[in-house]
Amino acid sequence: MAAYCRSCSVIMQKVNCLGACHPFKSQSLLLHYIRRGFGTSTICRALNPVQNKNLRAGKQKVSINHDKPLTYEQTQPPNMIGVSKSWNSWNSGSLNGEREKNAAQIVFEDIFIRKFMYGTWHNLFANEVIIKRRYNQIIIAGLIEQRNHNTIYFLIGYTEELLSFLLKCPVKIEIQTVADKKDMIFRYI
Amino acid sequence: MSAISLRSWLSCRLRKLFGDNHFGCIYNRPYLTSTNLQNVQENTDRKYVKYEDEIVEKETEKFRVFEIPGLKRVQKERWIQYKKREFEAQPRFKQMLPDQDWTKIWPGPATFKWSVVPFPVRQGFIPRPTIGDGVPPGKYANTELIKIPNFLHLTPAHIQQHCQAIKKFCTPWPAGLESDQKCHKHFPLEVVTQDYCFSGSSVRDARARSVTVQFKLSDLDFDYHARDKFIRLVGPRYNKNTDEVTLTADRCPLKTQNYDFIVYLLTALYHESWTVELWEKEKTLDDMEKYFWDLNASRKTILKLLKQIHTIEKNLKLSSNVKALPYMPENPSEENVLALKEVQSYKEAVTDLFNEDETKKNLKKYKEAVRTLLNIPTKNISISQRQ
Repeated sequence: MAAYCRSCSVIMQKVNCLGACHPFKSQSLLLHYIRRGFGTSTICRALNPVQNKNLRAGKQKVSINHDKPLTYEQTQPPNMIGVSKSWNSWNSGSLNGEREKNAAQIVFEDIFIRKFMYGTWHNLFANEVIIKRRYNQIIIAGLIEQRNHNTIYFLIGYTEELLSFLLKCPVKIEIQTVADKKDMIFRYI
Repeated sequence: MSAISLRSWLSCRLRKLFGDNHFGCIYNRPYLTSTNLQNVQENTDRKYVKYEDEIVEKETEKFRVFEIPGLKRVQKERWIQYKKREFEAQPRFKQMLPDQDWTKIWPGPATFKWSVVPFPVRQGFIPRPTIGDGVPPGKYANTELIKIPNFLHLTPAHIQQHCQAIKKFCTPWPAGLESDQKCHKHFPLEVVTQDYCFSGSSVRDARARSVTVQFKLSDLDFDYHARDKFIRLVGPRYNKNTDEVTLTADRCPLKTQNYDFIVYLLTALYHESWTVELWEKEKTLDDMEKYFWDLNASRKTILKLLKQIHTIEKNLKLSSNVKALPYMPENPSEENVLALKEVQSYKEAVTDLFNEDETKKNLKKYKEAVRTLLNIPTKNISISQRQ
């Protein structure tokens, strides 16, 4: 018997059924829901080996000399979200009863925040912008390269103030620094 | 490998790494050429790159010759930052004491900070040990640890401090409510409501309006008719096995309104149950919700049978020692016979057989009741006779 996961378009098959290949295929649909939990970033899909081979979206291309640097985030394909890497947006939008209410609004705001951060903190972020929502609070986390303090203090205050006005809720920036962006390199492909 | 070839190899690598826009950290730094090796050698200690544009030789004194741009190769001298950037200061966890107060360092919920958390922690997946460092990525520059929620603000020390802080608001448990039975006795109504937490700009949730009230039917003061009518009125909301009634309301937009409605509903149901309508008296034997021995033919039959045995016995004038029914009184009036213990137990057995299932227990009970009623002796079969 196959069951259908509404939140991520996964067709769950029982173990004795052939055909489907999914990271959670040995687990129940309920457990799958629990593991999926929060987050609205990329869609997780069930694939058989042939489909998996032909899937190219979200996968990094291997360079000729195998010297293309990748972060940990980039090495994991989208179908491994929830398995070996977690979501970049953490909110309750995918929960039962929440989807119809404010999931679209959350996705729209997240895109806006990412665009805003890309422009305002240009060339500073060493990783993806991580957006967490707790009640009506939005927390923007990430790793940046070290710059002089005044610049960062200004940017934090400016971003928090402006985004709070634009999104009409408290916005907090929780950033940390890395010495060098090269420290983010996980492997070369 | 000589120094020059090593450096040119390095420059080639770096250009591939950071020259294009493939990677998030873009260092649009110029690459190394063999001409400026000497300069690099001298400036290895420099932390930041000094970018110099083309150095055009100033030959002011000579006659200026027009040079077609791009025709002659212009040598460029550039610096390269080949040394990694380093931190200005030590991370905080390196300055921490082993006996520090963690609650001061991590007072509330916060994103994981590699520079503050003093213990080693790793998160990540490596499919093969040849990938990465051979072990899951550590806490430094680890995005996965930033994403996940942590409980570093809820250590036992934190909880203890929270408890200490709210202790002054605590009152002792009220006397007389020690056990669940006592609680149930004083508070028979159980009200269930839900609140919803979610990420959004509003705290309102339409699902939070519904209210459920549960109570035991035995807590209400009823006679048989009122109880039966109440059960008929509430229908499937009554659970026969647990004797519980569950009333749910979500018709009003607010929680309080729904609660008020349920209280009103309960009051109305209770008083309606006690009223007896005129048409309720037209209830016949077929309308009965269960078997009543007193209204059925079984009662008449038993009375008739016992009376008949008594009459025959009287007419035969047997000696008093061998009475067919020793329990029969001298005056076998209807009240006297019905009050008999044997008849009562028979009544109970027949009622159980009709109202409950024909279980082994009920059948046995019926058998015993009939035996006692008709004074049929139990056969005492010894083991030797059986064989």
